[in-house]
Amino acid sequence: MANIIKLQTVEGQPIEIVDEIIGSGGMKDVYFSPDKSYVVGFFREEQDAQTKDRLLMITGRYRQSLFENAGGDYWKNLFCWPSAVVEFNGRIGVVAPTYQRHFFFEFGSRNDDFLGIKGREKEGKWFASANNQNRFLDPRERGDWRKYLKICILIARAVKRMHAAGLAHSDLSYKNVLVDPTDGRACIIDIDGLVVPGKYPPDVVGTPDFIAPEVVMTCHLGKEDPKRKLPSIATDRHALAVLIYMYLFYRHPLRGDKVHDADPQIDETLSMGEKALFVEHPSDTSNRIRAKNIKPSELPWKDTAKIPYTVSGPYLTPLFDRAFMQGLHKPSERPTADEWENALVKTVDLIQPCQNPNCSQAWYVFDNTTAPRCPFCETPYRGSLPVLNLYSARREGQFTPDNHRLMVYTNQSLFPWHVNRNIFPNERLAPELRKRVGYFVWHNEAWWLVNENLPELTEISGETKHPIPIGMAAPLMDGGTLLFSPQEGGRLAVIQMVEGH
Amino acid sequence: MTTRRLPVYILLDTSGSMRGEPIHAVNVGMQSMLSALRQDPYALESVHLSVITFDIEAKELFPLTPLEQVRLPEIAVPGSGATFLGAALELLIDRVDRDVILGSPDRKGDWRPLLFIMTDGSPSDLQCYREMIAKVKQRHFGNIVACAAGQKAKEALLKELTPTVVSLDTTDIASFAQFFKWVSASVATGSSSAGVASPTSLPPPPPEVQVVI
Ligand SMILES: Nc1ncnc2c1ncn2[C@@H]1O[C@H](COP(=O)(O)OP(=O)(O)O)[C@@H](O)[C@H]1O
Repeated sequence: MANIIKLQTVEGQPIEIVDEIIGSGGMKDVYFSPDKSYVVGFFREEQDAQTKDRLLMITGRYRQSLFENAGGDYWKNLFCWPSAVVEFNGRIGVVAPTYQRHFFFEFGSRNDDFLGIKGREKEGKWFASANNQNRFLDPRERGDWRKYLKICILIARAVKRMHAAGLAHSDLSYKNVLVDPTDGRACIIDIDGLVVPGKYPPDVVGTPDFIAPEVVMTCHLGKEDPKRKLPSIATDRHALAVLIYMYLFYRHPLRGDKVHDADPQIDETLSMGEKALFVEHPSDTSNRIRAKNIKPSELPWKDTAKIPYTVSGPYLTPLFDRAFMQGLHKPSERPTADEWENALVKTVDLIQPCQNPNCSQAWYVFDNTTAPRCPFCETPYRGSLPVLNLYSARREGQFTPDNHRLMVYTNQSLFPWHVNRNIFPNERLAPELRKRVGYFVWHNEAWWLVNENLPELTEISGETKHPIPIGMAAPLMDGGTLLFSPQEGGRLAVIQMVEGH
Repeated sequence: MTTRRLPVYILLDTSGSMRGEPIHAVNVGMQSMLSALRQDPYALESVHLSVITFDIEAKELFPLTPLEQVRLPEIAVPGSGATFLGAALELLIDRVDRDVILGSPDRKGDWRPLLFIMTDGSPSDLQCYREMIAKVKQRHFGNIVACAAGQKAKEALLKELTPTVVSLDTTDIASFAQFFKWVSASVATGSSSAGVASPTSLPPPPPEVQVVI
């Protein structure tokens, strides 16, 4: 049994560590506390005064501003935020909570874990790659498309929170985000590299795949050069868009087959920097992923004709356009984390369970413009499907569209944020607003909305208003109208029936 | 090929002096290096490995193979003593020219290959060795690391090939374990950071391995 060492944080709190390295990264050696509830990572090399100062800010002021407000607990699951700084034998260490247990592989890889990764961290790279997904991961670790949507929501929300506090992560990548696709969870780690624009310059350029083009293009310049672009909130936005794209499509948005130079290093710099081009650019097709270069284990994901980014639906598609076309070389055009969060949350209302019980993705965005089918396994949608188009009143009695739809499926829930435009499902949502107020069922050859907690639900047909009391159900019919609530911000749903084949 | 391959060549000395514990240590070290790399999602996606052994002749133990398909055979030491490192480099150059994909207008090439050489002596074919050095240098390796294992290894000669020479005091299990751990960390770093500013950066060597300046 290794020794236990007693230490004190810079602030005088007692800390204990077991004298045995549990992991080493590029910069730190990491030790467990005796009860394994927290870890201490010691920098192997001496750190300058500025780094120490920055670590103190991260564990102090910034931490407080994120966690010690109302709702602060919510963020504890989304960030592995260092809590204190220690000094020992001339070395600096940071204390941080241990990663939660669901971020360690339970089953690991296929064939009884032939790679031996059981118990190791669920680093995002395992999941954001078609080849790793298809060839290596145990199917029980893989999760489905809905879980990845949820993971993306959490990541976008966490980044939004940092940006709102004026902080940039500066090295957002699948290395620094743990994900748990079995349950749709995500946690941002490696906070010690955090950048405060204008105060602490970043000490990393980032991780390949996620570095913004303007940073790649200027990283040969000296740090003091005014033309040099350093990681910032704008470059985080690029990294966030890449992460979301990779978790939804298991391919990289800029890694196509266009070759800029015979030398791989120069080619890399050009294709991630100056010449970066979206692989799915609608008019410039020169960087498409060519079918002949795709390995079978990368299918169907790398086939952008089969699974184009537009399968992510009407809210996410324009954001990808902005991130990888208009905003790729123009940072100010990039969607913010807040915009991503909104679009992702609304997309959750568009997804349908795939009717193929063996579909690996299980859920997809329902597209009623063409013959509806699952884009992943191609199973067509059979039966009728009610789509609720949501409207709300900006002025008394005048309902205008909210650009928000809800696709119905059996046991689909209706939540307060569907009922009222002023309610948004995020970390600030009050507990009583997190409960569903109704649900949908297919019963006796018809679709119904069962009213569980909508005191003023009303079916409207022409001039007649027909109240549906709590405990009763309203039928869903093509062209029918339901008023969820007459309150301020209350919504009206116009029902549209889509017939599958 | 939207995912570039990272070719990794390992040249291992199997001359007579490696018999016994040293070669056993190399086998153990190689096995653990392989398992470590297989637990790395970056390495799995790009690393292709080849091992060449050299004694009185150079042999390709296996050609460039995707990491997950590598089956490591037991490396044995034949009877006689010579160390034909020059011949090994010659074989290496032949294989690199044959197997490494160069970028062309319609195909992305491989990353620049990494080369690791371990020897416990000095080249018996010195002239050939020196001739090959010039040719190796024309091949644009991303990084070349030479390891001088044990007291008899000639660091100065290795320095002619690469500035990065590390030395192991002994050829036992513990020091080879450290060395191969470092090789796998270097390969892992290479596979996850290829493309950023300094492609050739290596993680710091473990304390038991001395970098020869
Ligand atoms: N909070 C933590 N909980 C559990 N393990 C951790 C934690 N932080 C670090 N580790 C382990 O230590 C290793 C190195 O830590 P890391 O933060 O990556 O160091 P570095 O800053 O040097 O990159 C990680 O790969 C992981 O295995």
